[in-house]
Amino acid sequence: MNLIDLLLWGIFPYIVLTIFIGGHIYRYQRDQFGWSTKSSEFLDKKSIRIGSQLFHWGILIVFGGHFLGLIVPVELYNSLGISQHTYHTVALVFGIPAGIAAFVGLILLYYRRLTVKRVKATSSKGDWAVLFFLLIVIGSGLSATFANIDAHEFDYRTTIAPWLRGLFVFQVQPELMTGVPVWFKFHITAFYGIAVVWPFTRLVHVFSLPLRYMRRNYVVYRSRTRKA
Amino acid sequence: MKKKHSPLWKRLTYMKPKETYSDNHSQLLEGNREWENVYRRRWQHDKVIRSTHGVNCTGSCSWNIYVKDGIVTWEGQQLDYPTTGPDMPEFEPRGCPRGASFSWYIYSPLRVKYPYIRKKLLLLWREALENHSNALEAWASIIEDSEKANLYKRARGKGGLIRAEWDEVTKLVAASSLYTIKKYGPDRNVGFSPIPAMSMISHAAGSRFMSLMGGPMLSFYDWYADLPPASPQIWGDQTDVPESSDWFNSSYIMTWGSNVPLTRTPDAHFLVEARYKGTKVVSVSPDYAESTKFADDWMSVKQGTDGAVAMAMGHVILNEFYHQNMQPYFESYAKQYTDFPFVVRLKKGKGHYVADRFLHAKDLGIESENSEWKPSMFNKATNTFAIPQGTMGSRWDDKGKWNLHLVDEFTEEAIDPTISFLGQEDEIATVNMPYFDAETRNILHRAVPVKEVAIDGEKTYVATVYDLMLANYGIDRGIGGESAKSYDDDTPFTPAWQEKITGVKRELVTKIAREFAQNAVDTNGRSMIIVGAGINHWYNSDTIYRAVVNLVIMVGAQGVNGGGWAHYVGQEKLRPTEGWTNVATAKDWHGPAKLMNGTSFFYFATGQWRYEEIPVSSLTAATVDKPRYEHYGDYNVLAARLGWLPAYPTFDRNGIDVYKEAIANGCETTEEIGNYVAKQLKERKLKFAIEDPDAPESFPRNLFVWRANLISSSGKGHEYFLKHLLGTTHGLLNTDEDSLRPEEITWRDETPEGKLDLLINLDFRMAGTALYSDVILPAATWYEKHDLSSTDMHPFVHPFNPAIASPWESKSDWDIFKELAKGISNLAKELKMEPVKEVVATPLLHDTPQEMAQPFGEIKDWSKGECEPIPGRTMPQIHVVEYDYKEIYSKLTALGPNIGSKPYGTKGINWEMKEEYEKVKHTIGTVQNESVADGCPDITSARDACEAVLMLSSTTNGKVAVKAWKALEEKTNLKLTDLAEEREEECFTFDQITAQPKTVITSPAFSGSEKGGRRYSPFTTNIERMIPFRTITGRQSYFLDHEMMHEFGESMATFKPILDHTPFKADRPKVEGKEIVLNYLTPHNKWSIHSMYFDSQPMLTLFRGGPTIWLNKDDAAEIDVEDNEWIECFNRNGVVVARAVVSHRIPRSVAFMHHAQDRHIHVPGTKLTQNRGGTHNSPTRIHVKPTHMIGGYAQLSYGFNYYGTTGNQRDLNVIIRKLGEVDWLEN
Repeated sequence: MNLIDLLLWGIFPYIVLTIFIGGHIYRYQRDQFGWSTKSSEFLDKKSIRIGSQLFHWGILIVFGGHFLGLIVPVELYNSLGISQHTYHTVALVFGIPAGIAAFVGLILLYYRRLTVKRVKATSSKGDWAVLFFLLIVIGSGLSATFANIDAHEFDYRTTIAPWLRGLFVFQVQPELMTGVPVWFKFHITAFYGIAVVWPFTRLVHVFSLPLRYMRRNYVVYRSRTRKA
Repeated sequence: MKKKHSPLWKRLTYMKPKETYSDNHSQLLEGNREWENVYRRRWQHDKVIRSTHGVNCTGSCSWNIYVKDGIVTWEGQQLDYPTTGPDMPEFEPRGCPRGASFSWYIYSPLRVKYPYIRKKLLLLWREALENHSNALEAWASIIEDSEKANLYKRARGKGGLIRAEWDEVTKLVAASSLYTIKKYGPDRNVGFSPIPAMSMISHAAGSRFMSLMGGPMLSFYDWYADLPPASPQIWGDQTDVPESSDWFNSSYIMTWGSNVPLTRTPDAHFLVEARYKGTKVVSVSPDYAESTKFADDWMSVKQGTDGAVAMAMGHVILNEFYHQNMQPYFESYAKQYTDFPFVVRLKKGKGHYVADRFLHAKDLGIESENSEWKPSMFNKATNTFAIPQGTMGSRWDDKGKWNLHLVDEFTEEAIDPTISFLGQEDEIATVNMPYFDAETRNILHRAVPVKEVAIDGEKTYVATVYDLMLANYGIDRGIGGESAKSYDDDTPFTPAWQEKITGVKRELVTKIAREFAQNAVDTNGRSMIIVGAGINHWYNSDTIYRAVVNLVIMVGAQGVNGGGWAHYVGQEKLRPTEGWTNVATAKDWHGPAKLMNGTSFFYFATGQWRYEEIPVSSLTAATVDKPRYEHYGDYNVLAARLGWLPAYPTFDRNGIDVYKEAIANGCETTEEIGNYVAKQLKERKLKFAIEDPDAPESFPRNLFVWRANLISSSGKGHEYFLKHLLGTTHGLLNTDEDSLRPEEITWRDETPEGKLDLLINLDFRMAGTALYSDVILPAATWYEKHDLSSTDMHPFVHPFNPAIASPWESKSDWDIFKELAKGISNLAKELKMEPVKEVVATPLLHDTPQEMAQPFGEIKDWSKGECEPIPGRTMPQIHVVEYDYKEIYSKLTALGPNIGSKPYGTKGINWEMKEEYEKVKHTIGTVQNESVADGCPDITSARDACEAVLMLSSTTNGKVAVKAWKALEEKTNLKLTDLAEEREEECFTFDQITAQPKTVITSPAFSGSEKGGRRYSPFTTNIERMIPFRTITGRQSYFLDHEMMHEFGESMATFKPILDHTPFKADRPKVEGKEIVLNYLTPHNKWSIHSMYFDSQPMLTLFRGGPTIWLNKDDAAEIDVEDNEWIECFNRNGVVVARAVVSHRIPRSVAFMHHAQDRHIHVPGTKLTQNRGGTHNSPTRIHVKPTHMIGGYAQLSYGFNYYGTTGNQRDLNVIIRKLGEVDWLEN
């Protein structure tokens, strides 16, 4: 293990995480009105429809796959008797179409932003950055998946997954990452990039799902503001 | 201190127990509630002030303007008008969606925020200033070098405007103005601003500036073709009409060419309320107009033929309510208030007699002052001719005989006028009367009972106006001649005759005529006709109007509340008239101001005179051999020469030089100078500029335009404006190669293009005019200044108040003209300019003794040796006026001493104002700067100017009103002061009218009364108080005896068809696809007021969002055009491209393009001109009518906006076809 590995897999994750969490808190405190998807749908409705649907549904499934692969420990699957082969087949059958859907959706959205005059004119640097990083992240993720399609030599559930989980409990194990194929490394590094810009772009809308609405009572009252 | 929680902290309430109620159906929601303040502040404002809109809609509605956080957020209708009285609906709510959207403009992208100048010009100017010792030389170096001048002139209308500094542009304007004054004369700097009443101080600012500079102001009422010349012809009054609430007093209303709910939106409710009361409403309109929805009967008349309907209605009324069964009310009204009983001489015409002129005291051998101006009637009581009181002659000999009492002026015997000689005639004479229709011009041989009189020993026949009128209308009186045997007889002017011309069923016309007259019989005259632009923008609209107005006079409806005519076309009554006139014409310093009729000015300045095609001889009466001239411009030269119309620029050289020459030739007094000028003119050593309008020394150089959108909105003959006046790219498809050649005007084959050196525009909108201007000065909007507004629709004077300070670098018009005056004064001081004197010519004016200059309506032309040129009699009056350019600013900002020291007044009466002038000094303060204005009232601020105007006017200062009535009492020997006495102590202040609208005080400046809360109706003081009309007979005129009226066959009302104009003569562009030829009309828009509001987003969203032309569905089908398709609309005057609105509402054969659809958006190109497809005025041009030029003759004398050529534009046809390719010319 060299210094680069230590930096990439031992130190960078914490810097990125700090910016990600701190950035969101900062943004929430200072920019309430800017906390938005910045929808461009009213500028152009037609060309957004297919791209947005493909991308969003695709990315949601991809996110689910990552959860099952990285957060859920491999031991759980073993104890349930799900073999490496079965897991891998299921992951690919759902993951590849979802990944391709997200990727194609993204390309469509990218194309739209480039060609629709009004959308282009109203795009900020952040919007371009988001598209750029998403393209790298999804592109590299798909590449890693395809490169690892037979999965004889490498199982991320025993390398990347424990490394990732270890980060959250402060058991840093960069050595787990040394043998990982380069496409996966690239994919993770690219994710660092998107995580850093995340709080400062429209991606904050990921955390705006109105979940509390689900358990709200039908009628609401507000109290008078209490005088200090 | 209040602890402020962070948003995140407030969000984290997951652990806090939830307070719930009602079985968990409701809960208490924690969290920030600051967002609710948005709603709480919804109706909180920094301030709410009263202002109005200075747009020429005639509305003058009172509005609240709401300001929030320093921003004007919206406006709302004010609801505190004084009551109209018991049993009457109130004025409010007043205001329409257009006004309600005005605040959009303040912050719109169209707002002119800084002074702008065309970059090419600015660079030239900066360079010239560096290379020359003074600004005048610098300007000369640009303008005398045609290459340099063309560089910026040809860039007009093509952008390239950059921001400039105020000082820099005012210096440029000052240099150009002073250069022009020195080189060509002060009358080559011209000002144009319309409708003072809509914001009178802003208008006065520039008008005062122009007058102090010696620059002419152009009229607008006639130029807009809103002036109905029939009004001065009939009443000797510009226009006086009832306020809108008086509609409620009527029991029979005809809306004739007037679309009340569309153009009079804030007043339309009175029409509805009148209907609820039971008033019958009849609509006369070619299209299914909005006003037609109000109507019980609709006369769907073919456009432009309304005169025929009116003549036929007159036929029915004269036949049934006069000839067959004389109504006592009509008869007594006719005898006392109309010229029906007056006696007219006949003369031999083509084989038979023709009506000539009134029989005057002079003809009867009565020795008297002004005996050529005292027409006579036949007194039944004495069986002799008698001269009644109230004639024009008695008006000016000041013997207290000017009133309408039927008393012989000389014998003081009561007169029982003979209205008809039928039954006591000496003979039945055949009198030739002219007739016109679309196919023919011929003579009607009518029979008239006549009396014989010996004049100078010669046997002469005379007839009453009544007998002539009955003959003219074709009433069968059983005395032979060509007359109508029945209403189904196809002779002029029966209901059957009109049916084939107008398409209106004869039965309907007969029914409406009977109802209209019977209603007047039953109510003593409460029959009303609301007339409008639909019948007023035609070449012969004055004949239409005379035929229509005759109806209300025949039934005794004029001068009665709820009766008479109601004409609300662009007029707007300027209530505080005397104070405003003094400020606006700078009469307080010197006079006279140069006031020019706009149409004639533009006719020559834009070169439209060069393209005349229809010879005058095709329009004159069959009763005359041939017209005086074949070219219309020749008549205008005649009018200038004889002092009928003003003519500025006046002479072929500088008036300052003419003065110097006169002095050098030993002249001292103004009279001697006048005689010198007359002699020079006679010897042809001096000529009028309009005799050679294309000579460089003859045309105008600088044009100031403010409160107006001249180029593209009111500039009829748009492409002629671009070509000749501005010298830039144009789309004119016409040539002058084979046009009529004038006799009195020098024809130059080379025509000047780009006559104007500078077009200076003050506006808050980057509208059409601004886009073509060289210098654009940012004006304040109506929510940013102090001003006054009034209207004929209601009797109040409304204030403008600033809701916000003028944003960016904009200033009010008052302040901008102060800047310009400062620029002039500074430059004049720098150049050490001495005061100069100029010879100034003014026309023979109405309401002065000059209206008796040319007796008997005979045209005597001194240039043809028919008489001698005598200033003020046979030619213009000659004055000498001194201008001191160093003092322009001092004079502009102070009220000069003439108000207190010279006679002060209006409409031919005057009184002294010393006391009031002193009071003004003590109220608004005086100037203390040792200038020429030292000690004069200080009107540096517009607000003080408003205050002064209110204090110096008879409608807003009770003491002045009483003085005015006293002056009229002396003139008329009547008792009149009681009309204003009850309000003598009232003097309006600006604060008072800001607090609440106040009804004006009754004044002789107008002809109606507001006494005791009465609703205003015009001419009621004439009818009730016996004040004469300001006409030759002192009565309402059916008969006009001027030679020129005979020439054009208009001595009495008649029908005239619209002009026969083909879109092209030869050389028409290639036919492409299917085409249709339609009559092109440009009526009012529903979603704008002229160009104002059209481009405002709220209004654009209401209809199609861009320029449109309306077509009938069958006409559209003929050329395969579907709704909303792009079409090309063109004739030889130019091309306009717009989208088609295909509708069954529009009748066939007509295309409507609502006028002044400003072209900021949706302007594709057209292959016809290789340019963007024009404006609504591109296919139009003006046609001047010689009868509008008559002057020096009683009511047919000049007055500013009172008489003059109208800028009519309706008698035109266009070709319409689908636009092949929509090319946006974007690269």
